[in-house]
Amino acid sequence: MQTNFSPEQLADPHVAESETILRKCVHCGFCTATCPTYVVLGDELDSPRGRIYLIKDMLENGRAADSETVTHIDRCLSCLSCLTTCPSGVDYMHLVDHARAHIEKTYKRPFKDRLARSVIAATLPYPSRFRLALGAAGLARPLAGLLKRVPFLRTFGVMLDLAPSALPASRGAKPAVYAAKGTPRARVALLTGCAQPVLRPEINDAVIRLLTGQGVEVVVSAGEGCCGALVHHMGRDEEALKAARHNIDVWLKAAEEDGLDAIIITASGCGTTIKDYGHMLRLDPAYAEKAARVSALAKDVTEYIATLDLPEQGARNLTVAYHSACSMQHGQKITSAPKQLLKRAGFSVREPAEGHLCCGSAGTYNILQPEISAKLKARKVRNIEATKAEVIATGNIGCITQIAGGTEIPILHTVELLDWAYGGPKPAGL
Amino acid sequence: MPETIGFLKPRQAVLDRRREIVADLADLLPEGGLVSDERGLKPFETDAFIAYRRMPLAVVLPETTEQVAAVLKYCSRYGIPIVPRGAGTSLSGGAIPQEDAIVVGLSKMSRILDIDLFNRTATVQAGVTNLNISDAVSADGFFYAPDPSSQLACTIGGNIGMNSGGAHCLKYGVTTNNLLGVKMVLFDGTVIELGGKALDAPGYDLLGLVCGSEGQLGIVTEATVRLIAKPEGARPVLFGFASSESGGSCVADIIGSGIIPVAIEFMDKPAIEICEAFAQAGYPLDVEALLIVEVEGSEAEMDATLAGIIEIARRHGVMTIKESQSALEAALIWKGRKSAFGATGRIADYICMDGTVPLSQLSHVLRRTGEIVAGYGLRVANVFHAGDGNMHPLILYNINDPEEAARAEAAGNDILKLCVEAGGCLTGEHGVGIEKRDLMLYQYSRADLGQQMAARAAFDPQWLMNPSKVFPLEGRPAA
Amino acid sequence: MIVHFEPASEEGIASVVRSAAAERVTLAVVGGGTRAGLGNPVRADRTLSTRRLSGIVTYDPAEMTMSALAGTPLAEVEAALHAKGQMLAFEPMDHRPLLATTGEPTIAGVFAANVSGPRRYVAGAARDSLLGVRFVNGRGELIKAGGRVMKNVTGLDLVKLLAGSYGTLGILTEVTFKVLPLPPAAATVVVSGLNDAEAAAVMAEAMAQPVEVSGASQLPESVRSRFLDGALPDGAATVLRLEGLAASVAIRAEKLGEKLSRFGRISQLDEAQTRILWAEIRDVKPYADGTRRPLWRISVAPSAGHQLVAALRLQTGVDAFYDWQGGLVWLRMEADPEAELLRRYIGAVGGGHATLLRADEEARGRIPAFEPESPAVAQLSERIRAQFDPSGIFNPGRVAASVRN
Repeated sequence: MQTNFSPEQLADPHVAESETILRKCVHCGFCTATCPTYVVLGDELDSPRGRIYLIKDMLENGRAADSETVTHIDRCLSCLSCLTTCPSGVDYMHLVDHARAHIEKTYKRPFKDRLARSVIAATLPYPSRFRLALGAAGLARPLAGLLKRVPFLRTFGVMLDLAPSALPASRGAKPAVYAAKGTPRARVALLTGCAQPVLRPEINDAVIRLLTGQGVEVVVSAGEGCCGALVHHMGRDEEALKAARHNIDVWLKAAEEDGLDAIIITASGCGTTIKDYGHMLRLDPAYAEKAARVSALAKDVTEYIATLDLPEQGARNLTVAYHSACSMQHGQKITSAPKQLLKRAGFSVREPAEGHLCCGSAGTYNILQPEISAKLKARKVRNIEATKAEVIATGNIGCITQIAGGTEIPILHTVELLDWAYGGPKPAGL
Repeated sequence: MPETIGFLKPRQAVLDRRREIVADLADLLPEGGLVSDERGLKPFETDAFIAYRRMPLAVVLPETTEQVAAVLKYCSRYGIPIVPRGAGTSLSGGAIPQEDAIVVGLSKMSRILDIDLFNRTATVQAGVTNLNISDAVSADGFFYAPDPSSQLACTIGGNIGMNSGGAHCLKYGVTTNNLLGVKMVLFDGTVIELGGKALDAPGYDLLGLVCGSEGQLGIVTEATVRLIAKPEGARPVLFGFASSESGGSCVADIIGSGIIPVAIEFMDKPAIEICEAFAQAGYPLDVEALLIVEVEGSEAEMDATLAGIIEIARRHGVMTIKESQSALEAALIWKGRKSAFGATGRIADYICMDGTVPLSQLSHVLRRTGEIVAGYGLRVANVFHAGDGNMHPLILYNINDPEEAARAEAAGNDILKLCVEAGGCLTGEHGVGIEKRDLMLYQYSRADLGQQMAARAAFDPQWLMNPSKVFPLEGRPAA
Repeated sequence: MIVHFEPASEEGIASVVRSAAAERVTLAVVGGGTRAGLGNPVRADRTLSTRRLSGIVTYDPAEMTMSALAGTPLAEVEAALHAKGQMLAFEPMDHRPLLATTGEPTIAGVFAANVSGPRRYVAGAARDSLLGVRFVNGRGELIKAGGRVMKNVTGLDLVKLLAGSYGTLGILTEVTFKVLPLPPAAATVVVSGLNDAEAAAVMAEAMAQPVEVSGASQLPESVRSRFLDGALPDGAATVLRLEGLAASVAIRAEKLGEKLSRFGRISQLDEAQTRILWAEIRDVKPYADGTRRPLWRISVAPSAGHQLVAALRLQTGVDAFYDWQGGLVWLRMEADPEAELLRRYIGAVGGGHATLLRADEEARGRIPAFEPESPAVAQLSERIRAQFDPSGIFNPGRVAASVRN
């Protein structure tokens, strides 16, 4: 596509990168078809091609973001379905990252939006605060309806709706080194995550049990924090980079101590971001190389387990609908490994129609864009239920929470089923 | 880039009333159905023919036929031009707006209305994508045959506008052969229905005229199309050749022998490399030309058909023959082919030609195309529907270099003239649009075009529908 | 006195048309005259025949296209094609037996009347094979449209418009069309003893199978014995044609027979019988009886054909058989054409159209041969006609749009 940047503009490495990305787009329009928001809304402005054009126009003119552009960029789920579809290799992910950072720098959101975003940014990435907030939410739940009627407080009403009514008692895996059973064959770090251990501590328990049982030593590093994905997608670049640097330090310390074969991530949303640390910090001379190392070590838990060559198990009479999280299939391009693992473990795997479409969870999207999110959730649940499966498996806590809110079919992390198949306890809810 | 193709001069009276028009349109449409601010309009300024751009006056995104009719009725009353838009995937600029035009986008009309497997028809709104139709009936063993490479995104309304083809049209025909009926809105808001589940309505074949009319006769809002039972099996096979000429003459011989495969696609070396980079389909990289030949039917039928084709290919010195071994492999082979244009974006900007030539001229035109493009100091990649002679040379250039862009456009014009001289036509499936409009007189006489324009005038006497397209601006009748 | 023009060149035709237009002299345009009875009666001052404009212009079998002058006899075209193992895919019917006309059908006549046969349902009508035309419009201008390549979307598709226009938009002088290889083998699977409703379901089932049925026709007991000199098995015959490579036809016939065996008795016709049977279906043999009894050609959705006939049976004496999976109904009335009743019932079963193909002079003069168009479409058609033939000199009265005038 034709671009129009001055040499001065291109001196900014972020602009230069975006220009390179834009030049690859030939405006073929393929991306529109697989974009969830275009499918739901039918407006090109809510499609990747439309957003690319809006971003191009904004950046070329060196203009502060305007409300029209912000509206349509905000509606982007960052599901990256377009990335899978695009034949031209347009790196939409980094283009929209740049746009979001630009918006955050140049656009003043209405007060209520700023408030909501600050609350989210200050809560979700911190397990203790998140727990506290969810406890408070339980108390405030009766107010949800009222809050939603006040435009100013609507987002908070939605947040209350999304909060689970009861929290698991367990606080999840503590920082420690979990020894491998038998002769150790590898040593990995496990990112326990921020929202996930609060909502579903069983997932990390299952990972530790499964991996240690297969001879893998698992390190949960003290001091590890949120991966930064959440704030990253809100355009809060500095906070995101801070989170990244912090984790890089923590993991590389663990690597220096006894070596690390991989950094295991159980939420694919986090995985996509950690695998992108190398890119995010490419302009930071102190961290560029370290970040690239961490990104290279980062593995989704199923991606890693697939390398362990687990034995084939006898058939279990259980049909599993496998929901591939967007960050899994589009962000990390992990498509067949989780299904193969489930099949090998003896489950009968079904794939819902429109598997490429997002469930509407998308990090904080279900809080910030509740209408579109609800439509996508309904569509996803309809497609999943059509498979007549008895249980849903997926690899991302966001999807688990979102889909669980729309169906009676139990939903588990893929690894919980694998853990069960390889000797762990039967997952709760089955 | 210096624009060599002009648009109609915007009607000042319309531009002057912009604010009122926008306000009036807002009354005719539901929330979210009107785009009128400058920022929001920008992404609608072009389609997949990105060398040309024009801002529209407004974009409307109606949800019903009635809303389309209300908009058209309003626009005809005030003499406001209309530019219909499906998914905006046109390679000839068919959906490029103009400053005084309202773009009517059908993207919100994306419901499948009726699937009738007994009569093997599907009735859908115009904004349904081509592939969605096949997806909707695939589990029942049917498909919708025309398969333009953009089938993932392009809409059936746009397919009707351009009479779209695709790889599998060699056997199953193009859109016009698979379209049974439409509901459409005429320029003044009149809603008519043409055709339907009963074949061959008497009277003039207005349905046939509407198909391929590039949005000049009205806006199709619903379509009824023919479904076909899926074959028992289908197998794409790759044939690699040492030269484009031998690949080209092999195609002519296959068809001449009386074997009609479902598809015969051609790729030259640059195209093979581009597509392989995206799809990793396993295309051979050590050949100069590649044919993808698809056969279908039962295993025995496919084997028998293939044996005949292989024998012919051997006579043309085929270097490699590779049969797809699985459904996944077959899907990748087609994914690579169908993504060819977009994948070209990885290495350069391009303009895509679409001339069709008689098969006997294929090798000659391929060679001359290479010479022409080289003569302009540019590169070309060829990837096209060889079985029906529908060529797609992609002229590679740098759109940020105005001088190079001008050369690319000139090379394209020379290639299209070559196609006409070889006994072919300017466009086999992409449409005239804005791109080939001024070349129409190479193919038709003034009287020929006059008759076409007269037919057009029967539908749209005011020339409001997509008025800058298809017919050269000079020599038009007074509206 | 009817003056008869027979120009031997395009220019000759154009010149006749120019003077006719200038003097408002109307012209009946004819080729071989074998389909003169189709449509409404034409009342014209003069006759113009394209008969002398005859001959194949180009035929390159490897391109699968042929160009021929308008008056080229269809027989000549088909002979040339058969010699090279090719054919017209749309299987044009021969109207002579039905209409009791004589003479030689011309290639342009086939396209002007959009004549097709049983294979239409899968291979398209005549209009689908037509790639390009040359014609003289009502101003006496020579116009070309389309071309000679398989795919062509350059400009408006006037080719489609001319096909089936019964010479009312222009006089075709040359046609270019695509052809297909003759299938090397053919067979027919017969399912015996089904009523019309059952047959409709069986034909739909057959068309849904991956066996490429190229003809699906229901021959009720009342007509069955008129085909193949009575050689079809007893009971109504639901016949399904398969074509292609010999081995493939045999396999597919086997598969189809197995699939349908739960519906009725299955038998097969060999290649020779198949060719005869489908030609007889194409030419409506049971009703080509030398009478003028009213005959309708009705096109509806395949699911509606038998419903229509069943409904009519309760009201009047009819006989019928079906082609195109049940969507093409050949309907013979015992006495009156019952146009109003028929057209009302067609509306009731979901729409379609009835063409009065044959009737006595009195009925033809009173009943529009073609299904009336909706007012908006009729207006459009009128405007189209005015843009091609502004003086209204071609075949006045022949098509639907004109009959109401």
